[in-house]
Order: sequence, then structure tokens, then C-alpha cells
Amino acid sequence: MSEFEKLGIVIGYEFLKHIRRRRLYVILGLTLIAELAVLILVPVLGDGFPDNVMVMAALLSVGPSLAGIGAIFFAGDAIAGEFEGKTGFILFTNPVRRTTLVIGKYLACYGAVILLVILGYVIVTISLLAIYGSVPIETLSSFGLCMLYAGSILSVTFFFSAISKGAMGATVITLVFVMVISAIVDSVLMMTGQPHWFLLSTNGDSIATVYGGYEAFMGGLGGGGGMMPFELETPNVGLSVLSMVLYLGVGFSASIWITKRRQLA
Amino acid sequence: MKESIVIENLTKYYNKFLALNDLSLSIPANENVGLLGPNGAGKSTTLKILCGLIRASSGTAYIDGVNVAEKPEEALSRIGVIVETPEFYGFLTPEETLGYLGRLRGMGGDKLKQRIKEVIKLVRLEDWGKVKIEKFSRGMKQRLALAQTLLHDPPVLILDEPGLGLDPRGVVEFREIIEKAGKEKTIFFASHQLVEVSQVCTQVAIIDHGRLLAYDSIAELEKKYKSLEGAYLELTEVPLE
Repeated sequence: MSEFEKLGIVIGYEFLKHIRRRRLYVILGLTLIAELAVLILVPVLGDGFPDNVMVMAALLSVGPSLAGIGAIFFAGDAIAGEFEGKTGFILFTNPVRRTTLVIGKYLACYGAVILLVILGYVIVTISLLAIYGSVPIETLSSFGLCMLYAGSILSVTFFFSAISKGAMGATVITLVFVMVISAIVDSVLMMTGQPHWFLLSTNGDSIATVYGGYEAFMGGLGGGGGMMPFELETPNVGLSVLSMVLYLGVGFSASIWITKRRQLA
Repeated sequence: MKESIVIENLTKYYNKFLALNDLSLSIPANENVGLLGPNGAGKSTTLKILCGLIRASSGTAYIDGVNVAEKPEEALSRIGVIVETPEFYGFLTPEETLGYLGRLRGMGGDKLKQRIKEVIKLVRLEDWGKVKIEKFSRGMKQRLALAQTLLHDPPVLILDEPGLGLDPRGVVEFREIIEKAGKEKTIFFASHQLVEVSQVCTQVAIIDHGRLLAYDSIAELEKKYKSLEGAYLELTEVPLE
């Protein structure tokens, strides 16, 4: 039996895990709430929907982005859980390479996250068609960036899962890394005019700014571009893609390398 | 005679703690050998190295002539394992779990379905085959662990305290299953239960502080020390240099 066949088996059962776990439906609920919040609050608190479809599309991209971040909750226990929960005593004593197991787990997690991301963009598309009668072509770029963002978040989570003793620790560390540390450093670098394309928070912003950048976005909401005491630099899409590919490749490779060497004592 | 398990000069450090100290042992095919020793003697460490779960600091372990460190997948394909008290995915049922593990071992189709039925019946989990494992007690998980050990009919069984968590009836049933399996398989069986070991095994290896103190037939040890318990107590009491 080839490792490729084993990979298919691992993906199947790991995907079943995600389908049966509550967290998939929690993230799904949060994604729907985020989209509903935008669709209800923007016209209620503002002066109706923005005139520019691009602004509304950028606002609605919060849902799929949230689904991308949901990858953390799918993957936090992917590797650490096998060691912490002792399920590794059963799984790792089978004639399967640990590389195959990690790749299978990754692809199953990615499949579950992508389902949510696709659902998010279906809502974006239907909403924009209903409100404006059109969908900007940039939605495709936003979708692609969101897929890549989810993959890079997943890789970072796998890395922390591989080095953590427990699943909860891996989840919390990844959340802090992505949502707090990356965001703080991003703000500091942006305020001081330094490059910050290599930060995950900047890369996440590109999912929305692909619709026209911060200035068009703020202007479209009636705030103008000069509200901030410093210049908001719109993320460069090419550099964001490069950064996310690096996070994806390095994080994933490191998680495989560490898992292969990790001992289950 | 063909050796099923060969351990050559195994040494294992956990940081500075010496868990195995130059341990060597050979288990011939179709022999049932018990591994005895006090807590921290190195029993689980030995078995985990044989299963590829941890790496030896030095030395080599072979299963059916296959170096575990160099070709872990090939070595693992020849063994069935229970290590400590294993846990299973709570979101799967026993049938699904055995289906997953069986397929990973190259089984499939009606043969696998039939074999799953057989082993589930063997460990008396027929009424629980379609119930999610998250509802299982420790003893039921231990029964399932035994089922997955026998699923692919491996020539070698490596069992670490497999009776843990079982009720008295479960212990007896478990022993009967292992005894039956042991007639055509090699069994390497770590336990604190001397009675259990003496009923399943013909030979025992006694270790302490990671060193082999004795490796002989139970009959010989009983002759020399009056009883297996006497041998165990006397040998593990001797202070090491």
C-alpha cells in the first residue's frame, strides 16, 4: 500500500473529525453573524449602504477572513492533541509515516476551513448582487488571498501545535501570535513608516484592501482619508502573497520536521 | 531458532536520567515472554523503543529482523501494540476506529468488515460497536485496544500493562484471549501482575534501573527462588553498583 493511499485514508477520517466536531459549526455561526452584522449595521448606523460596491465588498470580506482565522481552532490540537491525549499511542504505532499523518491532517483541516471560506464568499456574492446588482471582479482576488491566508494561518497553527505540550496551549499561542503580537508590531511599523508586509495581520488586511486600498475604503464610509494621525499604507498584494507563501511553507515544513522527531514518552 | 524481537545494548537517557542501561534481550518466535520490574525499571521505555514511539540514546532494536529505527513502518507492520492506557478518538465508534486502523494497515473491503466483527465479538464489545467512544469507560477502551492489536493478525504482540482498567471478568477474558493468541504469536508482555504473567508467559525477563537482572523460564526461576514472586523480590532488591 502506497503512502499516497494512506494519505487519502488519513484525510478522510480527519475530515470526518471536523465535520463531527462542534467547533466547525461555531465558526460557521460566527462567520454568519459577522456577515449579518455588516449587512444590518452599515445601513442602520450610516446613511444607507455605501454608494461604491467596492467598499461594501471590502466590509463583507470580514466574514471569510474570520473563517480563515477559524483555522486556528481546527488545527490547534492536530498534533499536540495526539501527544497530550495519548491517541498517538494508537495512531503512531501504525505503519504510516508521520509525514503522511501531518500532511493528511493539514489537508483535512484546510478542507474544512475552505468550506467556511467558500460559504462566506457565497454570502458576499449574493449580498452584493442583491444590493448593487453586480459583483466586483476583485472578489476573485479577495477569495484567492483568503484561501492563502487560511493556509498560512493553518501552517503557523500546525507549527505551534507541533512544539506545544497541549492543544489549548497551541491554540492560545497561535491566537496571541496572529491577533496580538502581529497586530501590535504591524501598528508600530505602520506608524513609524517601516515596511510591514511580512506580518500576518497585514497579509490578512490585503483580503479587504484588494478592493481599493484604505483611502478609498475610508472615503467610501464618509470618513475621508485623513482621519488617522499617520498614513495608512495599503498592503501590497504581491508582497502579501509572498509573505503568506513563506508562512505556509516554513510553518508546515517545520511542523512536519518537529513531529517526525517528537517522542511520545 | 528465528528471533522475533532482538534488543541490542539499548541505552536511553531522559535528559540526565538513565532509563535503560545497555539492555540486551532476544525473544524467539512464538515465545511468550513477560517483562517484569518495579516502577521506573524501564519496561515501558523498552516497549516504546520497540514501537518506534521513542528513540534509544544508543543500541538497536529489531522486530523480525527489521531495524525499528531505520525502517519503522516495516517493523510496525509486523506488530500489534498496547502501550499504557491508550486513548481513542471520541468522535469515532469502535467500528469506525478499527476501519481506520485496518485501512491504514492495508486491509479493506468485506474482509476488513468481517475481521472487525470478529475482533469486536472477541473482546465482547458487540453492543457498543456503533457507539461513539467518548461514552466509553477505561475498561471498554482497553478492550478496544486489544481488538485493534489483533485486528491485522500480526505475528508479534507488544503489550504494556494491558489489563489496566479491566474489571475482574475482563481480566480473565483478556487473559484467555492472549493465551489463545500466544499459541501462534510472539508476545512480549510488560506487567506488574505476576500471576497474570505466569499464566500467559513461559519465560520472564526481570529488569530494574534499566538493567537486565534475569531472563529465564518461569519454571527455572521458581526452582531457583521457590516462586516467581520470590525471584522478583530478591532480584529487584539487590542494590546496583
